[in-house]
Amino acid sequence: MTSETPIFEAKNIVKEYSGHRALDNVSIKVPKQSIFGLLGPNGAGKTSLIRIINQITAPDSGEILIDGKPLQREHVSQIGYLPEERGLYKKMKIGEQAVYLAQLKGMPKKQAKQELMLWFKKFEIDTWWNKTVDELSKGMAQKIQFITTVVHRPQLLILDEPFSGFDPINTNLVKSEILKLRDEGATIILSTHNMGSVEEICDNIALINNSKKILGGKVSDVKEQFSEEKYIIEFKGTGVAFANAVWGGWEMVNNKQLGEHHAIATIKLTGGTQLNDFLKGIINAVEIQSVNKVIPDMNEIFIRAVENEPISKEEVVNENTNQDG
Amino acid sequence: MGKIGLIIKREYTTRVKKKSFLLMTILGPILMVGFLVGAIWLGQQEEKDLEILVLDDTYVLSNTLLQSEKYHLTSSQDEGIENIDDGKTFLKENEQYDIFLYLPKNIISGNASVGKLFYKDAPSSNVQRHLENVVDGSIERFRLGKIKESLNNEDAKKLEDLWVRLKNKVQLHTIDVVSNEEKNVGMRAGVGFIFGLMIYLFIFMYGIQVMKGVIEEKSNRIVEVIVSSVKPFELMMGKIIGIMFVGLTQFIIWVMLSLALTTTLSLTVFPDLMNPENVAQTIQVEQVAVGVTVEPVNTDITETGKEFQDLIFNQIPWGLMIGLFIFYFIGGYLLYGSLLAAIGAAVDSETDTQQFMLPVTAPLIFAYIVAAMAIENPNSAAVEWCSQIPFTSPIVMLVRVSMGAEGLGWAIVLSMILLIAAFIGTTWVAGRVYRTGILMYGKKASYKEMFKWLRHK
Repeated sequence: MTSETPIFEAKNIVKEYSGHRALDNVSIKVPKQSIFGLLGPNGAGKTSLIRIINQITAPDSGEILIDGKPLQREHVSQIGYLPEERGLYKKMKIGEQAVYLAQLKGMPKKQAKQELMLWFKKFEIDTWWNKTVDELSKGMAQKIQFITTVVHRPQLLILDEPFSGFDPINTNLVKSEILKLRDEGATIILSTHNMGSVEEICDNIALINNSKKILGGKVSDVKEQFSEEKYIIEFKGTGVAFANAVWGGWEMVNNKQLGEHHAIATIKLTGGTQLNDFLKGIINAVEIQSVNKVIPDMNEIFIRAVENEPISKEEVVNENTNQDG
Repeated sequence: MGKIGLIIKREYTTRVKKKSFLLMTILGPILMVGFLVGAIWLGQQEEKDLEILVLDDTYVLSNTLLQSEKYHLTSSQDEGIENIDDGKTFLKENEQYDIFLYLPKNIISGNASVGKLFYKDAPSSNVQRHLENVVDGSIERFRLGKIKESLNNEDAKKLEDLWVRLKNKVQLHTIDVVSNEEKNVGMRAGVGFIFGLMIYLFIFMYGIQVMKGVIEEKSNRIVEVIVSSVKPFELMMGKIIGIMFVGLTQFIIWVMLSLALTTTLSLTVFPDLMNPENVAQTIQVEQVAVGVTVEPVNTDITETGKEFQDLIFNQIPWGLMIGLFIFYFIGGYLLYGSLLAAIGAAVDSETDTQQFMLPVTAPLIFAYIVAAMAIENPNSAAVEWCSQIPFTSPIVMLVRVSMGAEGLGWAIVLSMILLIAAFIGTTWVAGRVYRTGILMYGKKASYKEMFKWLRHK
């Protein structure tokens, strides 16, 4: 699915606004035909980076490469941009302005019309062509905006919070369209605070905080990097027996009683204790039913990375946790 | 078509298709012609139908006074009125009379004599001036008669001749020494002023539209999508140029509709009213009023009419004027339009524009005042300077040109070059402010900040 030549590369980007450094030496690589999550708290510098990619502003130093070539004006037609704060002309007919926006991206008028008609049908909004934005709900306008972003079949799609304002049904519709676009050859940079969707569709991520990239790589690698020696162990037997089976080298994070002699314990191995050694210790005391490694979700990783401190105990046991033993 | 062409086209078509544009385009000429017809009609109506009651305590003025042709004067004796209080009461109680003119005894004795004019509805200054002239004439007549009484017949006749000679009314015809043409300077300046006024209005109307358009795009946030496709400068210029074409379209339709309307009206509904002779008469009504004496007024109306026709058809260099109008309209509009675009980009909403609007609108209003002054004094230093300074030249220069373009060649070329240089300068500045401003939200920009934006990379 992903090849190793990056279609998009930002090298050591620096951008300052009157004394304030918005981007400090940020470098990212986006492999072709992948979905790249650009994460970070509000005001971290994501929008600055996105604007530089869209050539709305220029970096003070650093370089942007598209398919190995320096970013130029001609690349505009190959980039699709859905800004977080988005709008349409309120008094202009929807079909007309969609054609206009496609033309600005370099599409011939006739082709733009045909393609837009197909998209309008796909989103079941083909009857809106002659309406104005004033007559639409927010979610309806979001659909139009998504369509105008992708209609010129850009190689690189930059979507800033693409799911905001959508109901769950339309969120799924947009999500599946994004995946389809990727399968058809597009590369997508997704900026969002919705960590669930990052987990679901992103292949790689970069986390920007205080103008610096503090984390990056494949989603699975990042997770691995943030995983601690934490395990969830389901067992039959008493808690006392479990707790007294091994002395030292671990700590109990959580213990949940399921029945009289049935519990799930979350433990953290410390001091280099191996899982095998720990299991050898307790295997005589209780009857082990399952053992799973705790993998942190992106939400957790985001918070931990940004706050740069260990997570609290309550957050460890999480229904969403992947379990791959 | 390039991207800037697409933007120009969108700005143009969305505005031209608006109902308000259609309405303004059709109503404009109707209103203008309506005002013109109304003004002419009023000018012709005003001084008719005034019924004036005269109480003459001197007993000697009314003989000549009552011969006046312009108003209907009635001696108070005919109504049995003997004193001023009765006259006032009579005026109050009788619908028949509009004005009660009281001439006290001493009016014929002093040099600065005072009479009284009682009214129910205030008469125009023209009526007042006219009556003053009529009374003056009567007093002169009376004094002349007095002197004549003390002379023998021959001397009296000589005096009469002398007086008529003294009363000779002079008209100065202004002639351009270069072209040796006779010209009516005042009226020509008026025509130039109307052109200047049009440019002033158009710059204001369409400049504000540019600003509103920028604010609209900024506040509904579509601007970020668009500047990811085109350069901010292209978007700004596309908007300015698109709206300029809207203005030119409206101007051309106005001129054509006005001409068609005036022609139709003058041929059908008001053949008399729109007759150049009557129009000239109205325009010159003040001059006519000043010339009135007891003697039959010898104002050659046909001559004035011809003069007016000559002015309209021969003296005004229409080709040059319209060419310059279009140049100065475009130049002035680009100059102010780009600054207003920058203001639109620097604010979040229209309510924030005030503090930035003043420095932009002040020179425009100043130019208008200078242009109005130029009617009176077209060759003053102020007018010469202001017809060169780019911020005022679009409005002032046309007044100068209407007085005759001969000898102005270099002045026009220089002012054109300065204007072009100035709007290139303001567009550059505006482009820089615009580029940064349209993506700044929530923070009200200050001049200091805008100055910083100029240096952004």
